Parts: sequence; structure tokens; C-alpha cells
Amino acid sequence: MSKVLMKGNEALGEAAIRAGCVHFFGYPITPQTEIPEYLCKRLPEVGGVFLQAESEVAAIHMVYGAAGAGVKCMTSSSSPGISLMAEGMSYLAACELPCVVINMMRAGPGLGGILPAQSDYFQATRGHGHGDYQCIVLAPASVQEAVDLMTLAFDLAEKYRNPVMVCADGMIGQMMEPVEFRSEGRGPPMAGNDWALTGCEGRPRRIVNSLHLAPEQNFAYNVRLKEKYDRAAREEVRFELYGDGRPDVLVVAFGTMARISKSAIDDLRREGRRVALFRPITLNPWPYAQCRAAMDAMPEGAKVLDVEMSMGQMIYDVKLAAEGTRTIEFLGKAGGLVPSPDEVAARIRALLP
Amino acid sequence: MGHIAIEQVRCKGCGRCVVACPKNLIEYGTELNERGYAYVIFKGSPEQCGGCTLCAVSCPDQGIEVYNSRDRKVFVNTTGLTEVMTHYCPGCTHGVVHRLVAEVLEEMGLLGRTIGIAPVGCSVLAYEYFNFDMFEAAHGRAPAVATGAKRARPDRIVFTYQGDGDLASIGGNEILHAANRGEKITVIFLNNAIYGMTGGQMAPTTMPGQKTTTTPFGRDTADTGQPLRVAEMLATLATPAFIARGTSHDAKGTLKTRKLIKEAFEHQAANRCFSFVEVLSTCPTNWGLSPNEASDWVEETMIPYYPLGILKRPAPEAVKA
Repeated sequence: MSKVLMKGNEALGEAAIRAGCVHFFGYPITPQTEIPEYLCKRLPEVGGVFLQAESEVAAIHMVYGAAGAGVKCMTSSSSPGISLMAEGMSYLAACELPCVVINMMRAGPGLGGILPAQSDYFQATRGHGHGDYQCIVLAPASVQEAVDLMTLAFDLAEKYRNPVMVCADGMIGQMMEPVEFRSEGRGPPMAGNDWALTGCEGRPRRIVNSLHLAPEQNFAYNVRLKEKYDRAAREEVRFELYGDGRPDVLVVAFGTMARISKSAIDDLRREGRRVALFRPITLNPWPYAQCRAAMDAMPEGAKVLDVEMSMGQMIYDVKLAAEGTRTIEFLGKAGGLVPSPDEVAARIRALLP
Repeated sequence: MGHIAIEQVRCKGCGRCVVACPKNLIEYGTELNERGYAYVIFKGSPEQCGGCTLCAVSCPDQGIEVYNSRDRKVFVNTTGLTEVMTHYCPGCTHGVVHRLVAEVLEEMGLLGRTIGIAPVGCSVLAYEYFNFDMFEAAHGRAPAVATGAKRARPDRIVFTYQGDGDLASIGGNEILHAANRGEKITVIFLNNAIYGMTGGQMAPTTMPGQKTTTTPFGRDTADTGQPLRVAEMLATLATPAFIARGTSHDAKGTLKTRKLIKEAFEHQAANRCFSFVEVLSTCPTNWGLSPNEASDWVEETMIPYYPLGILKRPAPEAVKA
């Protein structure tokens, strides 16, 4: 299939349709607004439903209703809007309803700014709302990868009957890149939705519910959910290891920051330096063992550098992976500023032997 | 001539049937059933009972069946409700309104293609009582959940069942916009002027001067505003809709409310418009009144402020179409 030049947000909208999602509920917020703007034109062409909700709160509960009725559905937003969706995310996870939520992260906290950031990492990976629940979180580093991960996102949502978050940043949403869609037209509808509420004609009635007043029953429910998350941790970890197999400096970064770090690494490798990048693609489940293996392959005294567009959030997972075996250095900027390849290269250089 | 059968175990002794019987053939009992309630007793003879069914219509607990002179059942409990006995307090009319919704859906042959949405509040467990596919929604979000479900399954009947804290307070935005979009859903809104489940706090619908646990000296409207008339508010929207208010505090009002609920679902079944029925209901426990005093309070205090009737209907041409 040939490549087309598309803005990240629009490409994500198209990717959703190719993945079979034709029900979208959302609310405008920069820098993701091109997703609803694209889908409001495209979805009617494929017999889909576009609805601009009155708020992010309503949008996520519309997703709850549509997912519970057994259709592939999604919403998209950016940081402050995702905070508002926290309630619904908890209910979706609690009721085991599959859906996809895109977070085109912008700078925070509060109203923050509209420029790209990665400062919703804690929010994405440590749960947004209340209770012991988790979302699977995918972090693309390019428009092409964002498109590819949308299909995976819907597949994982269905496989685990759980919300999946595609956690990108304003940079990926706003930039134009050539992309290739790997399938034509509207993708397949949800398969195996034999739990969905469709009217009980000819079968026993069904209930979508997260109220479990008896503590033993609620505990058992939590245990079952945890088993599901543990299974995802065993089966769904995705990452990229790039550069030298035995580096003197290992950079750990995700999304846009990983891509920028790659440029720095390429420059340094051309100088003959031994450097590498470890890039988690699944932010949850996080590739702890794989990251640790990359660290263990390093020479003694080699350094690990965590680079983020935040004040340091993923670094806690990198430290968990290291389990005290390595000192983890940090380079980060927030508020909409992005460390440049030169800044990353300079910091790596300072850590090289 | 007829007779009635009171299912002792279901009776909570609220006495709504005692008041409803036009011939005073039912009286409060002194024996306790296995759940600890003093169940009512039918003291009449078949010659005295006219089989009018008003006792059964008033019963919130599906506890009475009525037979005519040929021993044929003239009041049959709906299959739209499960056998589960509700957790509602004696004299609370949630059970009455549950039954009306279920009866109407059964009568219209819609039980198999209905998706209901329970709220947060006293009726949070409505999914245990309605005998068809049910969602439990987050507090106030039922109209958004209904929107998602209806847009996903436009050929299904989708309704929400919400109380006044859920709908008029925390869910104010969701109900307003679902109505304004003209979602083809039905909303059954129970207004009992108080938060029941959390133990009797002020709701947006609490009456001026009404004592609640958060207005212990009576609702001061200078501080908390006037009671919110949701039906009137929604009726101002330009989008076509069916908006009505009924009551469940007495048998006569309940029978009228049944008609309103039926019309609401008919509008949805015809894919015509958003439909909304507010139903005034009783909360004896949190009002600090007996069930029958609570009914009087609806009559005397609530209805003058929340007048009954149809506030808005879709234009005739829309109905014809």
C-alpha cells in the first residue's frame, strides 16, 4: 500500500476506522482536536457514529455505554480532559469493557499549556481514577507507529476486555509524516461480545456493573482483575532496543523523546561512541526484565540516562528495573519545552568514560 | 366481587394498601413475617371486595395479587421484574415506579430488546430488580451511558432510571445535554426531595424549609436557592421532547403516571424524541414520616410546587411522522 502524508491526529482517526472502530465520542481540546474534526467527516462515510459530547466526563461515559452495548468505540483527549475522564476509566476497567482512549499529552499541571509533554506518565501508568485497576498503555514514537498501534490497541482492548490508552504527545498529534495503512476500509466489528447488553431476547439477561458490596466478593473480583493484568504483563510487553549491544551509556526514553534521543545516539555512534536506547512501547505493562537485561549487558560503571519531557516520572520504573544495580541519571524538560538532540548528546557525552 | 392474596413474606407493612382500599378491607397486622415486618391482613370477604386492584397498584413490593369473582387473576405481577425482594424502606415508592416501567415494557412487548440503566442512589440496585439487560452507571452519568448505548444500538429501547441527587445535582449537565440533543432515550426521574441512600441530605429538589441532615434548621432558600424544577427546565428546550410529571404517592396518581410512562416509551419506540417522566415519590425514612404521612406530604407540599401533567409533547406532525 502506498504512503500518504498525514497529520498525526488525522492519521490516528483513520487508523481507528481501519481497526474497525466506527463509534467516537469526544470533546474538543488542543492539541488533539483534529481527531474529532477528522472523524466527524469520515465516520458518516463508513456508517459510523460521531458525537461531540458536552464534556470529557460525558464522553467517557458514552464510551462506557457503547462499549457495554458491544461495539468497538473510542474517545480522545489531552491531559486536562483525561483527568476528567478518570472516573469513567475506573468504571470501564471495573466492568471490563473494551475501548481505546487516546491521550495527546500537553504540558501541565492545571491548565498548563498546549505544547507537547510527557507529564501524564504517572496518570497513565498508575491509574487515573480510583481503585485497583490498570490500563494497557501504548506509547508511539512516530505517526506511523501511532497508526500501527491503533489496531493493536483495539485488539488488546478486546483480548483483555479492558480500556487501552494510546499515550502520545502533542508533537506526534501535530506533525505530518508519510504513513502507510496496512489494511483497506473499515475494519472488522468487535468479535466475541457475548457479554454485551443487546437486549435479552432469547438468552438470559446480562448486567454490566461494578458494585460489589460484599467485601469477599469485591476482593475476589479484584483478584480476578489482577490476574488479568498479570497475564498482560507476561504476554504484552513491547519495547525497542536500538544501538550498541554493550553500550557505555544506555538512554531510556519513550515516545517523542525516544525519537529525539535516537538522533543524538546516531550522531554519537558515528563518532564511534558505544551508546544505545531502550524504548518501552508498552508503558504499562512496563518491560522491566528486558530493560534490566539491557543494563546487565553494559560494562561495569556504564551509565543509564533517563530522558523525559517531564520533571521525571518514568525514571521510577527505570529504577525499579535497575533494582539498585545502576545509578540512573536524568535529563528532562517540562512545560512544553523539549530537550533537543544536541542537549541529549551533550548529556550522554558527559556520562561517557 | 373478588378477593386478594397478600404474599406475607414480601409485605413490609407500609400500609399504602390499607389507605388505597376504597372499602377499608385491609388492616395493619401485628404478626411479623420472616423479615421482621408486620404484614397487612385482608379482613374482607369476597362479597365485599370489588377487585378494583388499587391495593396492588399502591403496593411497592409486588406483594398483592387480585382476583375477580370468577377467581381469575385481574392483577398479575409483571415478568418485567425479577422475584428479588427490594431493599427499599417500607412505604418508599421506588418499587411502585419500577413496576410501572416493567409493566409498560411488558405490555408493549419490549422486555427482550430493552437496555436499562441504573443510577447511583437508592435505586443503585435497580439492575437486580428489572428483569432485562441492565447497566449500572456512575453517579449522574446515566444519560451519557444511555446515549452511548442507544447510538451503538439504535434499534433497542434504552432508558435511565434516576433519582434527584443523581439526575438534578451531579448529573445536571448530562441530562440537560441528552435532552437537548434529543437522544431517543427515555428517562424516568424519581423526585423525593432528598438524598435517600446517603441518609437524608439536601437535594436540589428539597423543599423550602424542609429539614435534612445538611439543612438541620430547614432549607434556607436565601442560602441554597429554590428547589430545582427539572421537568420545567427541560421543557424550555427548543428540541422536540415529551416531558411530563406524575406522582406515585397514591393509587390514582400512580395509574396516571403509568399512562405517562407508556407514552414516553411509545415516543421512543417510534424513534420520535427524547422522553422524560418525573415521578414524585415518598421517602418516609428520611422525611421522618410514616408511609401514609409521607403520601400526604407529597400531596400538600410537593405537588403545589411540582405540578403534575404533561409539560411538553412533540409537535403533532412529528407524532404523525
